[in-house]
Amino acid sequence: MSLTDALFGAFAIPFMGRALLVMLVLAVVAGVVGVLVNLRGLEFISDGLTHAVFPGLAIGLAVGGTAGLLPGAAIAALAGALALTWLDRAGITSDAAIAIVLTATFSIGVIVVSRSDDYAGELEALLFGRVLTIPPAEVVPLIIVSLAALAMVLVTLKQQLYRAFDAKGSRAAGDSALVLDLVLNSAIALVVVAAASTIGTLLVLALLIVPGAVARLVTARLWWLFPVAAVFAAVAAWLGLALGYAVSVGAGVDLPAGSTVVAVFVVGYGLVLLGSSVFGRRLRGSGGLEPDSSSSGAPRPAGVAR
Amino acid sequence: MTVPPVLRLRGAAFTYPGGAGVSGLQLDISPGEAVALIGPNGAGKSTLLKGILGLVPKTAGTIELGGARGAAPAPIGRIGSAHAASGMIAFLPQSAELDPDFPISLEQVVMQGRYRGLGLFRWPGRADGAAVRHALETVGLAELARRPFGELSGGQRQRGLLARALASEPALLLLDEPFNGLDQANRDALVDTIRTLKTRGVAVLVSTHDLELARLVCDTVVLVNGTQLASGPVDEVLTLGNVQECFEGLEVELDEHTLVVPGHEGH
Repeated sequence: MSLTDALFGAFAIPFMGRALLVMLVLAVVAGVVGVLVNLRGLEFISDGLTHAVFPGLAIGLAVGGTAGLLPGAAIAALAGALALTWLDRAGITSDAAIAIVLTATFSIGVIVVSRSDDYAGELEALLFGRVLTIPPAEVVPLIIVSLAALAMVLVTLKQQLYRAFDAKGSRAAGDSALVLDLVLNSAIALVVVAAASTIGTLLVLALLIVPGAVARLVTARLWWLFPVAAVFAAVAAWLGLALGYAVSVGAGVDLPAGSTVVAVFVVGYGLVLLGSSVFGRRLRGSGGLEPDSSSSGAPRPAGVAR
Repeated sequence: MTVPPVLRLRGAAFTYPGGAGVSGLQLDISPGEAVALIGPNGAGKSTLLKGILGLVPKTAGTIELGGARGAAPAPIGRIGSAHAASGMIAFLPQSAELDPDFPISLEQVVMQGRYRGLGLFRWPGRADGAAVRHALETVGLAELARRPFGELSGGQRQRGLLARALASEPALLLLDEPFNGLDQANRDALVDTIRTLKTRGVAVLVSTHDLELARLVCDTVVLVNGTQLASGPVDEVLTLGNVQECFEGLEVELDEHTLVVPGHEGH
């Protein structure tokens, strides 16, 4: 198989074309939302939402079959977004408390799935995705869910950035922290929903977190973060699908598509990290995969003239 | 006809759910007037400012905002009064609370001051850019507009945040310990800016434990320590007896001398 075949020809096949379309939309949206996740330090809440969505997927599948997946996940995700926003506002930020709630929801999902006949197959599809077998009828709903998340973030983007930078100043300017958090958490939840049907609930987090972290490494300019994250995510999704196809069809080694995409994301991050440390393009700061201190609002006396 | 006040407190108390707070507040601030809020650490100065912003619940008395734009003072509610107040109040936080790694330039920070007027759907236009430049010129940082905010010195960040507050064209400006940790040059620049604002008719409420500053730029002083102890013109309120009561047993600076205020129990 030639390189052109893998990069372009493969996507003439209907199921590959559908996978590429959905993944490109999702990657761009996850990249944009992911920049806010990075700036707000919401990595843990995002992880929580991926767990909260799982019982929704399982119940949706049990009740409505494959057609029940998206509505079930959407309901669970929005409930999860509400619950996590409330936990955060109630000051319950203990990792242990959140982790207990989330593993509980995850176990509910597993119990529901275990009632079905094809336990192992369905669990695998929910956890690791089925990007290559997206039914044609689901393409449009998945794109709509992704674009809804994008719209929620774009409409509130100025205010979200203000809140991320200076929560008190944002409140003083009349912005409601509750509304902004609900909108952002719901947008993250919708990305998780769309991604759960494609690359699976366990791998979603890479889509949300890696592009934002890459953008932080590449640029320190605020408005460049979003295009950089979106382009990185789109290219990595495309290369990931192409690589999976090339290896599976060309070399006969069956690579799971979703995991291959995530692997390409992480390798891309590694290369950018290497490049940024070699060329020193990152001007300042930490901005890696670690949740940074911007989320905690902890006083940072560094740099204050005394 | 007298000008109606921008802010009026009558017997107001602001209390955190935990019980800490500040009470007994009687205060009028007119357009162009600067009021110093003076008291030791933990006296409730920041609590009062947050109470005015609606971030700490009001548990007694009344608070009225208005007047500056011709509107009659209107009572505002408990939590959520930030909404009622939006468009009127600007708040200058302590810049040390902000993450220096956040990827944002000085002019982008100042532009945040314009967001309130823009709402959700409009993006900054030419008039907003001009307002940002004007605000940066007022605080003397125009040449640093494109510099990353985190690379500025502490004093420059403080002035940058003041520029953001100015860009929102507030009727009332709240400053929380703005002089903490500033060198003399930045301090002078900040004092000049507050004077400029007063001439433009902005009402200013500044919390500080620096009595010298109160004399430099403020018309009125309010002494607080858990409750309001005294208020009035600077020279009448900053008497030894009042200061002694407010800063019992603590060090204060008065007219370039540091004095330790003796406690009452020794007398």
